[in-house]
Order: sequence, then C-alpha cells, then structure tokens
Amino acid sequence: MAQKKRVRALKQVKEERAGSGTIAYRLKCAKTANGLSHFVMYGDVQKEKTVL
Amino acid sequence: MSGGLTVWKNNKNDIVLDPDNLFWVITPNQGDHKVFISEKVINFYKNVRNKLSAEIKDFRFSRDLTAIYIDPTDKCNANCAYCYIPNQIRKNGHSMSWEELDFVLRKIKKHFEGKKRKQVIIFHASEPLLVKGIIFKAIKEYSRVFKFGLQTNAILLEKEDVIFLKKYHVGVGISLDSFSSSVNNRLRPAGQGAGNFSHAVRAIEWFDGYKGLNVITTVTKLNVRDLPGMVRFMHSKKVPCVLLNPMRFTHSGSLRLKPDEKLLAKYFIKAVDTAIALSKNSKHRIIVGNFANTILAIIAPLARRLMCDISPCGGARCFFTITAKGEMIPCGEFIGIKGFSGGNIFKTSITKAMVSKPFKNIRDRFVEKIRECNVCDFRNICGAPCPAELHSFGNMYQKSVFCNFYKEIIKYAFKMIVEDKVKYLLRDESSGMLKFAYNFNPA
Repeated sequence: MAQKKRVRALKQVKEERAGSGTIAYRLKCAKTANGLSHFVMYGDVQKEKTVL
Repeated sequence: MSGGLTVWKNNKNDIVLDPDNLFWVITPNQGDHKVFISEKVINFYKNVRNKLSAEIKDFRFSRDLTAIYIDPTDKCNANCAYCYIPNQIRKNGHSMSWEELDFVLRKIKKHFEGKKRKQVIIFHASEPLLVKGIIFKAIKEYSRVFKFGLQTNAILLEKEDVIFLKKYHVGVGISLDSFSSSVNNRLRPAGQGAGNFSHAVRAIEWFDGYKGLNVITTVTKLNVRDLPGMVRFMHSKKVPCVLLNPMRFTHSGSLRLKPDEKLLAKYFIKAVDTAIALSKNSKHRIIVGNFANTILAIIAPLARRLMCDISPCGGARCFFTITAKGEMIPCGEFIGIKGFSGGNIFKTSITKAMVSKPFKNIRDRFVEKIRECNVCDFRNICGAPCPAELHSFGNMYQKSVFCNFYKEIIKYAFKMIVEDKVKYLLRDESSGMLKFAYNFNPA
C-alpha cells in the first residue's frame, strides 16, 4: 500500500514538473479561410488576406 | 495517419513533436537522458491527433489554385549574378502585347467565374516594368476582378507609379540585396558600372511605410554578413517586411555564390534578433517574412503564406507561372528548363494545364518520398525546397541544398516560441486574425 502511494506521489510530482512551463498550442485564421486559399506573397493590404 | 511522437532536446527544453501533423509540446528539460511526457499530454494528443492529421493532409494535397504569376516580358534591364532565368532569354526574350495580356487575363477571369474570392495575379520576372504601360492598364481595368502583386528591381519606378500602385492596393516586392550600394550593385548590376541601389532606395522612400511593400534580399556569400544591417536599414526606411531568401541554384553557374550554411544561419538569426529588438523598442515594426513563415509553420501551420516550405510545394498546385510566350509552367523557377510546360495559355485551358503530366510531376514530389527527409522531424516545416533547383542538379528527389540551415532556423523558431517572442515576429495585424485552435494547459 505504502509502495503504491509512493508511486502515485512520484507520478504526481512528475506531472506537476512536466506541467509547469509546458507550452502547447495551435492557432488558426480567425477572419479568413486558412493559408493556402489566401496566398499573396506580396503585401497584406486587404483585410481579408491571411497573416504573414 | 501520423507516425507518432518524436522527442528531441532544444537548449533547455524537450520538444515533443508529431512530424506528420505538427502537433508539438515544449516542456522544460528533465535532465540529460530523461524525458517525461505527462499522461495528460498523451491523452490530449490522442484526442486531437486524427483531426490535425486530416487538416494537414488537406492543406498539403489540396489543389486550390489561388495565385497566378504572369511574366509579361522575358526581358530584363539588370544582369543579376544569381538569376535563374537564362541569359539569352533575358536579353532577347519576348514581350506580351496588350492584346495578349488582355487575352490571358480574360481567360483567367473566365476560369474562376462564379468564385467569390478575388484571384491573385502577380507580375514577376524578368523585369515587368519594362512593359509598364500594359501592366498598369491591366491593374486599372481588372482591379475589380483581381488582386495584383508586382515584383520589381525598381529601376523604372517613378514617383507617380508609386502613387498608382498604392491607390490600387498592389502588393509590391522590391529587390535589394544590401544596405551597401557597392555590394548590392555587384550582385545586381544594371547598366554600366551601376546597379539598382539608388533606384530601389528612392522607391522605398516614396512608398513611405506602405503596408503592401516587401523588400526581398537574395542571400549569397557576398552579402550574407549584411543581413542584420539590411534589417536596420529597412527599418529606418519604414519597410514592414523583408524576405531574406537564400539564393537558388537553378542556374548551375551560380554555385560559386553559395553562402556557407553555418554563416547563413548565424547572420540570418542575427537579422531576426535585430528585427525583434527594433520592433520591441520603436514605433515601427519590421518582420523577416520567411522567418515569420517558419514560426507560422509551427504555431499555425495552415496559416502559412509562402509556398516553398510546404510539401508538395505550391507550384502547379496553388499557383503557376505564365511566361511571356504563354507557356504555363509550375513556377517561375522552371523558366528555361525543358519538359515542364503544362501547355500554352493561348491554345490550352487552365484546367488542362493543371492536370497535365508536368504539373502532376511537381505535385507528386513530397518529403515522404525523399531519402533522409522521410525520417526528418522537420520535414513538414521545411518542405525540402526546391524541386526546380534540385532537378537542375539531376534529381528533384533529394533534400534541400540548405538542409542544415533550415534545421538551425527551425530550432531557433522553437526557442523564440519558448521565449514568448512570437508577438514581435508576426505582423501587427496578425493578433486579430489568429485565434486558438487549442491552448493546452496541463494544470
């Protein structure tokens, strides 16, 4: 039982350590269709173009 | 379907990455030999894996034609040392008449009839301003139908032209290779003992911070050390975006100008750092466009705009080039290379060109088929460019000429994400244009 508790505690510590400073995100275009349909290499003038 | 997660160390962090769908997690380093991936991360990954894989597959292999490059003339008034267009074409090439250009634009318009979105037309190499009259007429007459872009060395650009281009919201790329006139004019000679330096700088000043302006620097061994200075110079001229593109070797004679990859990475990163510092500490923001695209490849892979680092590349898939004689080729890089015409626009339809064998050959070239790339973690961030260049080396199924450079840059991009510098690396407007697909919080 004590052994089980120790394993669980260790797992929790590791989870917390791995959790702190962890970065994982993904962004998508909010106002436009995704990138390929708005490919303009030169310029970002029109609002509907996607970001670079 | 993805092949699962890989783990690698980047400075003080462990990067967990699915190279197929670009799911990633950055965690603080757990020690030299230990990597601990939390169960919550694994569960989250399992939840999003299939969706991300499907999105990336669609992004990479869809055939949504959204830009067409038109080279209205083969001729050029410069003689750049690294130009991929053969010398005899630049000197003696054909130029379109107004009737020919009008025919081409009408055909493109008809092809996209019924689509809501404005199609993009970019006037490109050799030097389009040699036929300024017809391209400006086209911009005026078709401004309700198309969005326009123009790539130029600016030698023939006059002040009233800049007013015109701004009025019609034309995206403009000006080629300039250094803040030093002697270095630039050595790489981009035009006329006797001169180059485009003074013309380009004058035009950049006329544009006066115009948001649709990019300055494109082609990086060779002669200007590789100038990159940070180039960013400073362009920032002082209120340029919003510079592209620092390593030269291509589609024309084999240009190999002698190849920059050392380590030096290239070193000075490119210094240029990025310079842009960050300037954007942070001044009112005017400047971004390095191709680095912004690398950042986007990681944090918002479907929002990428430059097509060379997607695999298969955008050539013959999202865009193609029409030469002055009307040949439809996958990309301008293929000018002068035999066997890549999808047909002539004066005789063949765009639909036929898109399904032609030469176009299909380019779409069929992707990283999973390339030795070394197929096991590289970064394969869907770098994309192994460029098929035209590698074809010139005898086989397009090989890794990029600048493979090591791309690896360094991608690692640096992850470092910038950790240091929360993304906000300085994208355009100002981007914050309102991107939203979270997910933001994983393990707590």
